[in-house]
Amino acid sequence: MTGATAVMPAAGPTGVRRDPVVAAAVLALWLLLGLFVVYPLAMLFVRMLTDHGTFTTAGVVAILTDRHQVRAFWNSLLLATLVGIAGTVVGFLFAFTAARGRLPRWLLSIVDASVLLPLVSPPFTTAIAMIFSFGPRGLITYDLLGLKGVTVYGLTSTLCSEALTYFPIAYLTLRPILAAIDSNIEGMAFSLGASRWRVFRTVTLPLAVPGLANAFLLLFAASLADFATPLILGGNQFPVLPTQAYLQITGLFDLRGGAALSFVLLLPALIVFLLQRYWVSRRFYVTITGKGAGQTPFNSLSPAARGALLCACATVAVVIVYFYALLLYASLVMALGANHTFTLQHYRAIFTDGMKAIRDTLIIAAFAMPLGGLYGVLLGYLVAKRNFIGRRTMELVSMVNYALPGTIVGIAYLIAFNDPPIELTGTALIIVACYVFRYGPTGIRATIALLQQIDKSLEEASQGLGAGTATTFRRITLPLILPAFFAGLGVVFIRSMTAISATIFLVSIGWTLITVKILENITELSLGPAAAFSVLVVVIVFVVVAIIGRLLRLFRAPGAVPMTSLLGG
Amino acid sequence: MTAESIGVEVDRISKRYAHRVKGEVYAARAVVLNVRPGAFLTLLGPSGCGKTTTLRMIAGYEMPDAGRIRFGGQDVTTEPANRRNIGFVFQNYALFPHLSIFDNVAYGLNVRKVPAAEVRQRVGEVLSLVGLAGYEGQFSGQLSGGEQQRVALARAIVIRPRVLLFDEPLSNLDAKLRVQMRHEIRDLQRRLAITTVYVTHDQEEAMAVSDRIAVMNEGSVVQEGSAEDLYHRPASQFVAQFVGRVNLVAARVLTVAGDAVSVAALGTTIGARAGRAGLAPGDAVRLVVRPESIVIAPAGGADGSLQATVTARTFLGEKIEYLLRCAGETLQVVRYDAGPGAAMPEGSNVTVRFAADAVTVLPEVAAKGTSDA
Repeated sequence: MTGATAVMPAAGPTGVRRDPVVAAAVLALWLLLGLFVVYPLAMLFVRMLTDHGTFTTAGVVAILTDRHQVRAFWNSLLLATLVGIAGTVVGFLFAFTAARGRLPRWLLSIVDASVLLPLVSPPFTTAIAMIFSFGPRGLITYDLLGLKGVTVYGLTSTLCSEALTYFPIAYLTLRPILAAIDSNIEGMAFSLGASRWRVFRTVTLPLAVPGLANAFLLLFAASLADFATPLILGGNQFPVLPTQAYLQITGLFDLRGGAALSFVLLLPALIVFLLQRYWVSRRFYVTITGKGAGQTPFNSLSPAARGALLCACATVAVVIVYFYALLLYASLVMALGANHTFTLQHYRAIFTDGMKAIRDTLIIAAFAMPLGGLYGVLLGYLVAKRNFIGRRTMELVSMVNYALPGTIVGIAYLIAFNDPPIELTGTALIIVACYVFRYGPTGIRATIALLQQIDKSLEEASQGLGAGTATTFRRITLPLILPAFFAGLGVVFIRSMTAISATIFLVSIGWTLITVKILENITELSLGPAAAFSVLVVVIVFVVVAIIGRLLRLFRAPGAVPMTSLLGG
Repeated sequence: MTAESIGVEVDRISKRYAHRVKGEVYAARAVVLNVRPGAFLTLLGPSGCGKTTTLRMIAGYEMPDAGRIRFGGQDVTTEPANRRNIGFVFQNYALFPHLSIFDNVAYGLNVRKVPAAEVRQRVGEVLSLVGLAGYEGQFSGQLSGGEQQRVALARAIVIRPRVLLFDEPLSNLDAKLRVQMRHEIRDLQRRLAITTVYVTHDQEEAMAVSDRIAVMNEGSVVQEGSAEDLYHRPASQFVAQFVGRVNLVAARVLTVAGDAVSVAALGTTIGARAGRAGLAPGDAVRLVVRPESIVIAPAGGADGSLQATVTARTFLGEKIEYLLRCAGETLQVVRYDAGPGAAMPEGSNVTVRFAADAVTVLPEVAAKGTSDA
């Protein structure tokens, strides 16, 4: 290229013109974002700060000075910090082993699968398995060790459960970063006389610091927002904000108090989101150049270190596999811990009593999936390729529901759509909308990322060969962003099957969800059906993810830009 | 294969950009080019000289802020790229990764609604022409760089474009392939007689492929001519330095007689050709001497020729390069007649003589822009 490109402004869209189709799409998206993102949040504030139409901070102050709630706030931060640290450490362990451990292919796919399992599971799975293992009648605490009167509830078990559930996020964040660190750089340091440990300490680790910070913040946010795990495992000893907000609303019917609590949650969540998005993610040293390292990359692990890493990873993987095996086992016996006779009665129960929840969940997922995928691709395309006023703002607003803890979104929807002018409570639409605007952003990010990788010369080449804007979009751009569409579909589907934090506020007699049913089962202590539901969800999600994976391969020509992960972003 | 060749006229086109540091910058400033029908013109220049911007304006990917562009006399200045009927070969080839080689090449024909049977026939023909018959079902990711280059070429010529445009098409290939491909491109262009504009920063490549070369610097065409013109009669120090290697020796004009100039340089008087009109006695000038135009011989003959010392000597097979120290100046010299005994060792004293008519004089003031060349 000549330097003329150096003085060019950021690559603009080709053939910029006032396009009525684009204008209409932008307007429609703004209306939807206004209705399903801005309006509910505004109503949340209004409800929090008014009492029968007059401004008052009394309700907020009452909640915020309550010692119990203040403790919940600090607990939330403590838990999020610990989960962030623990999850990042475990995630780094796995990522480093995968990137540098010279694992054979089959072992890598096992690692990938065991890491993926917690990501596609309903929210209570590890929590249930914890109770099965370490509860008063737990397989390990009672049967194996003979301990009596053990309490599983509290910080430690919540921390362990969340760390196990969320460390895959750290793994997925760190692995590409570690893989992208040119091992020749490490080899260089080694050749300058540094020991392997010194190379790791002075070269590899510093290069991975932005990735570590990023992983920590993502885990912090995930833990802060997690509602299911502390609800099951936190117990009375360890209240956190999302569960307190939930109890305030469902137990005390205090919407204003719930709104105030969720607002308190909003502040740290927002800070973490902004830090992650605008500070850490701009500090990456590693850019993926596509230039492969040499044929003989530096072997950065000594045999002993490699062995130790493999052992550590294997231990974690074994725990995960054990948890899931236990879940499956629990779904197939009368009552785990008491009566281990084989039975299908739990499955019979979920396919009779629970059938409505299964059907509702699948119907809602079936609507949310294509809508969410379309929404993601459309908004991503407009933001990345079209110039219109408020482009950056639209991108930011579209991320809000995704970045906020589900509890806030759920309570905001509950407040906003409970009364006229827009009454949606009790409908399936409110749940579908919640999923589309909360999980569609993954598709937005995937679309933007893909479009950034697609050189604009491709569109220019099409134009040069005589194709107009419409033909170029249909024949070149659209096929190339199809993977992002499928990624968006996949994430919306997975979350439609597994989410609970927002939608627990939105279910009704008319429409309910499997996850809510699982929670009901757990609170009624019928853990068998809960386990059976969980197994069902994992199976459905795996099947659908596999189908989407096949479709992805089908639509992806060799050499097209690959989508690395369904769960990326 | 193509219809009648047409000429391309670029009439004082300009393009400005807002630059973060420098403010408003001209990427192209009143560029004038005239490509005869069927001719091969190369835009040659360093990074940032405006050659790619000029090419993209000819293609219709950028619109000039001023000036006109005419294809065969017809004004196309405001036509977008998809209505200009051009063939464009990108530096990164820009093959569509989701389409097979066949579909890549057929793309422009399908856009033009050419009947399927004819598409098949023409794609087959053009793929044979570039030596890729049988590659129809492959995808770009499975091809080597050279093969991708050929597909890009096939895709550009299959639509029988009025003008063929190349943007540094060989810069991603290794040196050997680059030499081979430039012969193929030249050969194909001659056979098809498509009017062609080619952009490169590699002067050797430019010389190898072009009928004419336009050297650009800082947004303007500084000299246009055949490769011989540019090499032997550079109009500026910039062109002298950019096209081939050169010695620029400080000198002062003694006498001017039409084209013939006599200058004081290297402690002696040297006869030279004026590269520019308007030189006057007393002007500070530069002698422009190509390394192969300097004749050296072992010292000994006392014929009043210049004396110099060999400070470095590099044996390169078919030639030997010398660095000489001569009256306080450093001279680069290349000798091809290097028989086994002809080499002069480092530290030896030699006599220096400039080949007749090989020395051009350019004014010192033209030095602008040479420092970064």
